[in-house]
Amino acid sequence: MSEQLKRIVYTAAVFISLLLAWEYATTNGYLKPYRFPAPSQIAKGFVELSVVGFPRGLTIWVHVQTTVERIAQGYIAAILLAIPLGFLIGRVPILEKLTNPLIVFGRSIATLSLLPLVIVWFGTGELTKVILIAYGCFWTMISNVIAGVKYVDKGLINAARVFGVKGAALYWTVILPAALPRIFAGARMALGVGFMVIVGAEMIGTIEGLGALIMEARTFYRSEVTIVGMLIIGVIGFLISSGLARMEKVLVPWDTGLEDVRR
Amino acid sequence: MTNFETNAQSAYIEFRNVGKRFGSQDNGFIVLEDINIGIKRNEFVSIVGRSGCGKTTLLNIAAGLVAASSGETVIAGKKVDGPGQGQGVVFQQHALFPWLTAAGNIEFGCRSSNLSKAEKKQLVHQLLELIGLAHAANSYPRELSGGMQQRVAIARALAMDPEILVMDEPFGALDELTRIELQDELLRIWEVKKKTVLFVTHSINEALVLSDRIIVLAPHPLGVHMDIEVTLPRPRDRTTPQFNALYKQIWEGLSS
Amino acid sequence: MSSRISLSDILWGLTGTLAVVLIWEFAARSGVINAAIFPSPTLAIESAFEKLDRVDVIQHIGWSLYRVLVGFLLGALAGIIIGIAAGWYKFASFLFLPLIELFRPIPPLAWIPLAIIWFGLGEPSKFFIIFLGAFFPVVTAAYRGVISVDPVLLRAAQTFGLKGVGLLMKVAIPGAAPDLATGIRIAWGLSFGVLVAAELIAADKGLGYMIMHARQLGNVDVIVVGILLIGALNLITDGIIVWMIRKWIGRWHGE
Ligand SMILES: Nc1ncnc2c1ncn2[C@@H]1O[C@H](COP(=O)(O)OP(=O)(O)OP(=O)(O)O)[C@@H](O)[C@H]1O
Ligand SMILES: [Mg+2]
Repeated sequence: MSEQLKRIVYTAAVFISLLLAWEYATTNGYLKPYRFPAPSQIAKGFVELSVVGFPRGLTIWVHVQTTVERIAQGYIAAILLAIPLGFLIGRVPILEKLTNPLIVFGRSIATLSLLPLVIVWFGTGELTKVILIAYGCFWTMISNVIAGVKYVDKGLINAARVFGVKGAALYWTVILPAALPRIFAGARMALGVGFMVIVGAEMIGTIEGLGALIMEARTFYRSEVTIVGMLIIGVIGFLISSGLARMEKVLVPWDTGLEDVRR
Repeated sequence: MTNFETNAQSAYIEFRNVGKRFGSQDNGFIVLEDINIGIKRNEFVSIVGRSGCGKTTLLNIAAGLVAASSGETVIAGKKVDGPGQGQGVVFQQHALFPWLTAAGNIEFGCRSSNLSKAEKKQLVHQLLELIGLAHAANSYPRELSGGMQQRVAIARALAMDPEILVMDEPFGALDELTRIELQDELLRIWEVKKKTVLFVTHSINEALVLSDRIIVLAPHPLGVHMDIEVTLPRPRDRTTPQFNALYKQIWEGLSS
Repeated sequence: MSSRISLSDILWGLTGTLAVVLIWEFAARSGVINAAIFPSPTLAIESAFEKLDRVDVIQHIGWSLYRVLVGFLLGALAGIIIGIAAGWYKFASFLFLPLIELFRPIPPLAWIPLAIIWFGLGEPSKFFIIFLGAFFPVVTAAYRGVISVDPVLLRAAQTFGLKGVGLLMKVAIPGAAPDLATGIRIAWGLSFGVLVAAELIAADKGLGYMIMHARQLGNVDVIVVGILLIGALNLITDGIIVWMIRKWIGRWHGE
């Protein structure tokens, strides 16, 4: 307990002293305010963003909503596609062998390198971004689903067989639960990929969304707005992945999570 | 330091009111309480007891790897405050370094001895021969069977040439034949090199074949339940009535 | 899991790949899909060969590899040092963990504007972004690796008189190696993705720039070839990294 308290105190101390040093250095001219806007400046930027918006009218909440909607669409589409396909490929060795190089290559293609091509096909609208997110998430997700399904402990499957479990029941009683931790790991990784892709995709050809916001703000020398945008991106990413972790705890209670075991 | 207060025939290793609790003061789990054992130099002492009664914990305390919650452990008049006071340890789970080969692990054992490089090599080779694994010198732990891993772990502890050998079920994973061979070998080393051995086993037979003394730990109430001297001459014949009488005595002590 | 890929696996894989390529080729040639916006692989390669100057392409590849290597090496090095320090020394964990936790959720690409503000449009800003892409996976893996070394191994080493820095070097770091290796591989993939994005957004050379430029000129075939090239480069370099990792720890750690 006291260890925990100590940690919190130290953490707070580290942060507060950093912020104070930063504020001091900027207001006293040691750091250029344009490059390192002071924390107070950033706070003002946040207020402006949530009331007036940047560009005017597009408040931070609009940007957040746009970005989250794009991610949600692409991410969910990828997951809905990857899970059944992954199960199929993971359980049918021939399919796995046929598709393996394709999956490896599909995953190797840097998602954002598809951006120019997808723009040619679908223009710079919403669909382009959703497709890119879906593409990135899909490969991450499907490789994890396949791995999870494929490497289910043979011993567990045999143990279930001994008790007369077979066919579809085998999936529900053994394969799905055994693959679930890996599937969740994939879901978490895919989310990271989705976030990365959206930020990159929004930097080109749009003014709505958090990626666009931070890029636009730079063009207008509003670095404090850029930083607010970055922090918000971080917070959203953190919130969603915490949500996933909580869901995992409920759905996969026997897998205490590496974090818990290893500490 | 109290080393001059102790009298001449006092113990070489001494547990004085040793207690161990895991967890916090008020909400903890008491594993050992008021353990008092004295072990003479060159004595071969076995500890038996039900699973979970605290044998490994006691050995870890003797090895200086775990601090006792109360009491103290003294080796040669010096309070134990860490490993490296002459205790070589064979762990219950072999604890080999997965990134070192069998030979590398054994060599790790003599890393702080002042042998020359060639002498170390020689020693490693001898030990590999001893455990019958000369052919597996360059295999990594994951390429060895459980019994082979355990043998390497024993060789690693021997490589250190420690005054005291602390062994936690070292022969548990071995086949009967290898076990008997290594038991003989351990006795030979113990006699020739004059070591003090603290040995945990689940086999009453093994304890009787090897030890000068057998200590039975009991979980309820915690602590030393029995302390039996075994004076039978070595090599011991497992079929004598005296052997069987002792076996029965310990059996009853364990199951009471 | 066997490390050797059997011949039949390769044949099956080739069959699958070939099937997809053939379907694509056929669809584009027969006009099921518009070849102007999605050219068949042979057509794309053929016409891209005409449009692209070979020396240019090699220079683009060279620039991309150079950037990703510099950024990756710096990021991985910093990640290894800080991650191991944070896993081993309490004061370092107090200092670094909160900062790492704070910045980790921010994707490296979100740093692009700030990187431009801080370092301008030249190479340092790209190194910085790639540095971030490599740093976070490695620092996390190094930290995890060190704190999850089996305590029994640490104890075993202690009985042979190891302590302090010796214990860190001889036991904690080798013990962390498998985790670290995984982290390094992830970091390489991420660095690569980050690189392409950075070149799309702000560069005048490199493969990312090459395909973005091709879009402005309307050369879909060049885009397709560029994408395949980037994928192949990623795949090959990843293969090299896997090979090096296997040399390093494969024998004792297994696959
Ligand atoms: N680090 C720990 N934290 C909490 N409890 C522990 C810890 N280590 C051991 N224990 C508990 O202490 C008790 C004794 O453990 P110990 O390993 O000493 O038993 P043992 O006699 O060696 O058993 P076995 O014969 O099965 O090896 C057990 O009940 C165990 O659950
Ligand atoms: Mg034990």
